Amino acid sequence: MKTAAELKFGETGIIGDIDASHPSSRRILEVGFTPGQVIQLINISAFNDPLAFSVRGTIIAIRKNEASCIKLI
Amino acid sequence: MKTIILEDIPLITLVGPPNSGKTTLFNYLSGQNYKTVNYPGATVEYSISKIQKKFNFNANILDSPGIISLIPNSPDEKVSVDSLYSHPRYGVPDLIIVTVDASQLSRHLLLVRQLIESKFNVIIALTMTDILQRKGFEISSNLLSQKLRCDVVLIDGRSGEGVENLIQIVDKNIESSKLIGKKNPVVLDSNLDIKYLLNSYKEIEEIEKEVISCPKNAGEKINLKRANRQLKVLNEAISGNNQLDQSTLKIDKILLHKFWGLGIFFLMMAVTFTSIFWLAQPVMDLVDSGFGLFSYEVIKILGNTWYGNFIANGIVGGTGAVLVFVPQILILFLILGLLEDTGYLARGAMLIDKPLSKIGLNGRSFVPMFSGFACAIPAILSTRTIPNKRERLLTIFIIPLMSCSARLPVYALLLAFLFPANKAWIAGLVLAGIYILSILSSVTVAGIVNKFKNKIINAEDRSSFILELPAYRVPKFGMVITNSYHSAKMYFRKAGPIILVLSSVIWFLTYFPDYNPKVDTHNLSRDQAIELQSSVRLQHSYASDLGKFIEPVMTPLGMDWRVGVSLISAFAAREVFVSSLAMIFKVTDDKATLQSSMIHEMRKATIEGTGQKLFTPATIAGLIVFFIFALQCVSTLAVSRKETGSWRMPAIQFLMFTSLAYIFTVVTVNGLRILGVP
Repeated sequence: MKTAAELKFGETGIIGDIDASHPSSRRILEVGFTPGQVIQLINISAFNDPLAFSVRGTIIAIRKNEASCIKLI
Repeated sequence: MKTIILEDIPLITLVGPPNSGKTTLFNYLSGQNYKTVNYPGATVEYSISKIQKKFNFNANILDSPGIISLIPNSPDEKVSVDSLYSHPRYGVPDLIIVTVDASQLSRHLLLVRQLIESKFNVIIALTMTDILQRKGFEISSNLLSQKLRCDVVLIDGRSGEGVENLIQIVDKNIESSKLIGKKNPVVLDSNLDIKYLLNSYKEIEEIEKEVISCPKNAGEKINLKRANRQLKVLNEAISGNNQLDQSTLKIDKILLHKFWGLGIFFLMMAVTFTSIFWLAQPVMDLVDSGFGLFSYEVIKILGNTWYGNFIANGIVGGTGAVLVFVPQILILFLILGLLEDTGYLARGAMLIDKPLSKIGLNGRSFVPMFSGFACAIPAILSTRTIPNKRERLLTIFIIPLMSCSARLPVYALLLAFLFPANKAWIAGLVLAGIYILSILSSVTVAGIVNKFKNKIINAEDRSSFILELPAYRVPKFGMVITNSYHSAKMYFRKAGPIILVLSSVIWFLTYFPDYNPKVDTHNLSRDQAIELQSSVRLQHSYASDLGKFIEPVMTPLGMDWRVGVSLISAFAAREVFVSSLAMIFKVTDDKATLQSSMIHEMRKATIEGTGQKLFTPATIAGLIVFFIFALQCVSTLAVSRKETGSWRMPAIQFLMFTSLAYIFTVVTVNGLRILGVP
């Protein structure tokens, strides 16, 4: 299954599930990455990490490692 | 539990997620007249104030740190959340005002829902409805109020409109809750699982659908979609009120560009950095000469007595040593505050996160490290924004290695010794090299400490970087200025007493026991006689005994007790090194030529017994190296102790950096001598 970390620049995806075993999973949910939400990768930092996603009308930057716990449909 | 504020004044706590307009509302309610205090024994700070008089409502308003959830994610977050339920000093709040950004409704209602579930008495202050309107949507506050069963008030952050209405509703709410009696909130179970969160979100989304509407007809809605497609900025799936601010996206295209982004970032930091020094320098000089004149006048009035000297050099001089850095700190906080308020600082943290994470730091470590170039004390205080404890401790650990501005007067003197005035540009280049070396050494130390993290830093390792990049906006100057003022005041309060006590101790060591030496004042003016007297006094003081005691340590450095005394005095504040050297070498304080006459005296100085020159290019280079690494600042140690909660960290910092400094100085001096440098 594709994760948010594998999105290309400008690509959108719909969140299917959040990997609950990841230590940051709860915080990721709390900032708004929940199943069903449409997210878009809108910026990539200079060293390809962190990634900035559009979610629920705002931009949230998270590390690639954390983005990999966001599973897409 | 202490209750300082009288029981009958209600306590209102302001809660809200970051970027929800919480601070703006607090400033309106408090009239920007508040005090910032620490939670007892913790590194979380809060601001408290009375509601300003013009609202004619007597209550205390407490500003809590921005949180997105009542379920804490780190020990520090737990402190903020616990204090929300029952503040260690002010108790349980009578009412909670929670700020909610209307354009971020679904995200921000999560916290509201948790507050209501905890049975707090909640009023929602709905902000940024104008942004929602710009997107073409409207929110019904009445419907929202019905759905959540709590009061909702619209607040305009730009004009302050709605604040009076808020006060009225707060008043009504507190009056009616008085009849029922104070409710005690129920702490949310911190083990609530993900299913609970998902259910919360589901309910919130239902509410959002009902309260937010598009007042325009359906035809225009389709146009909106078509417009989005034409712009190709956003996928049509992300439409409706989840659209992003278009100008923010455009600005980010440049500022977060893959190649230029980092370049712009470093350019911005370089400009900030140089302006801190250029803008602050004239004011610092003014403070410096003002206090110089002040202590001169004190001696004139009180006479050249021990108490006159104590007040002039201990108290006035010590206060001057604290105040001299205030201009720099103010400007630093002003620029950083403006950058923060525009929304850029969060982007800077994102740009620099990857390289910093390689050495065990975090993107959020950048601002504290950068502040360290001005002064380590505000820098250590600003590490509180780093949520991960291990990363925060590591950031605090390396901050003393950033070349703070107190070292500048020392470098200025030493470089002027090495390079004649007509080759000042070489000195400039070397100074730039010193700064680069300080960055490299802090990065190296961080990398090494990170390798042995379990031995040096005791904290859980769960690195994370989740940061909202808020929409760009024009900063609110008034508020940034107030916040800078409060930060500077905090620095003064933290560092002030320590520096003052210390400079008194050092004054004592340099003044006694031979406090009134007999000198031949024949042919000397009054001022010259005083200078000569203080020079003789210092040579027979406890400080010089101490200097002679540590002379065996100084010999491998090619230096003697006189440099040792100056190094000891520099513990009060590094720049004291210069004035202390001036005293030892009997340099008369003729302001215009102090540096050149000092250098003249320094060139003549020889080591007693051997007749070897004391200051040579090799020993001066060694001194520069010493100042780069040594942690010679008691205030930094004290703040490090306060922020880390034990003496462990400052002790390791002190021993590690000062012994590093010593070893590197021995290597530099003797290495240069082997290479033939005198």
